[in-house]
Amino acid sequence: MHFEIRYNPAHSLAIAHLGAGESVRAEASAMVTMSSGVTVSTSMNHKAGGGFMGALKRGVLGGESFFQNLFTAIGPQAQIGLAPKLCGSMVTHELSGAGDLFIQGSSYVAAPESVTLDTKWQGFRGFFSGESLFFLRASGVGPVLLNAFGAIERFELNGEHIVDTGHLVAFTEGIEYSIDKASAGWIGSFLSGEGLVLRMRGRGTVYVQSRNPTEFGTSVGRLLPARQR
Amino acid sequence: MQTTIEHGPSFAWLRVALDPGDEIQAEAGSMVRRETQVTMTTHLNASRSAGILRKIGAFFVAVARKVFGGETMFVNRFRAASRGEVVFAPALSGHIIHKAITPGARLFVQTGSYLASAGAIDTRVRFGGLRSLFGGEGLVLLECSGAGDLWVNSYGGVLPIEVNGTFKVDTGHIVAFDGSLDFKVRSIGGFKSFLFSGEGLVCEFSGRGTVFVQSRNLRALVGWITPLLPA
Repeated sequence: MHFEIRYNPAHSLAIAHLGAGESVRAEASAMVTMSSGVTVSTSMNHKAGGGFMGALKRGVLGGESFFQNLFTAIGPQAQIGLAPKLCGSMVTHELSGAGDLFIQGSSYVAAPESVTLDTKWQGFRGFFSGESLFFLRASGVGPVLLNAFGAIERFELNGEHIVDTGHLVAFTEGIEYSIDKASAGWIGSFLSGEGLVLRMRGRGTVYVQSRNPTEFGTSVGRLLPARQR
Repeated sequence: MQTTIEHGPSFAWLRVALDPGDEIQAEAGSMVRRETQVTMTTHLNASRSAGILRKIGAFFVAVARKVFGGETMFVNRFRAASRGEVVFAPALSGHIIHKAITPGARLFVQTGSYLASAGAIDTRVRFGGLRSLFGGEGLVLLECSGAGDLWVNSYGGVLPIEVNGTFKVDTGHIVAFDGSLDFKVRSIGGFKSFLFSGEGLVCEFSGRGTVFVQSRNLRALVGWITPLLPA
């Protein structure tokens, strides 16, 4: 199984090439095309259980459940076309088993079955409008397909770096992060428009995207008529 | 200070390497990432030479615009204790261009197009009409003068147009223009065409100078999405 990425940087499309018996899991709604001889099944990673904390986490995420479709090739040379919702680039991160990848929830597109995705919630929800972050943890061996809003940059971190929460795509295990105010004070942080930022520390790879979906959403959203409730 | 514009024309960002003592200011909310030796402080985007009354006025306009929606008039200033990097990106898809401001010259920048500036640049807010205050159809401009560098962003591609005579541009497509040009905001034709032509207000330029025009218009996108929203 391998991914072929076409049409970067603006309107990327990924093609998952599957041999007979191979399969790929993709985020629900990502499928664009599918060759014949592919079966589809939908699975839900229920975040049930976990007692009070589990319930709290589900509540914080608004009852979020994470659906994925599993595409399995019956015959040889099957192809599944995959696309994210927003304009931008896609990239693959190769997991070798040496370290996991933490993926910002909406940046995940697909991965083969050899990659395990832990959807256990880890992240935060900020006080600032709609700002929340949740990470999926990908482990195992194989390529993980990621999408970015805009262009994608991969950089090696060795030390400390500050990344805007809306621009983070993914980072490798070994990097610690803490949530920080963008400015020294709360008022400054609010007025600075940066809200909350991630202070990342350690050694590893970080992927960032050149556009922030929430910034774009609010730029357009504030000009739209109010929602009727 | 070294600056590079990357990932254009669709998703451009501005990458800045600051040397010790360098300072760059950028639109609130535009920071993508920064190294920790780069520090950030938040300020009102009023010129340093502005009197206290003008600063107070600018503060209320800034808070009002923050509350009512619209670009804020706050900016963040970044300084590096030792050589460090910071990256800025606008909210919409599109490109970034650099303009040098020289003493005596002025550049008018549509507020949403301001991304960053460095050097001794004075900015003052100019309104193209009362409705502009609350994100209406009018034009809110930043008048930039002094000496330094300016980076402006566009929604879509950016096209420079050399005006010699008169030229009309839809207000939603204006990125920036030279201060040597005279400008007037008006409706495109009579009352009827104002209502039915689908064109909003235009800015009529006269004189000689350059107008930077963007190939997309945010209000047009909003106008397209709005009827598709569920009731």
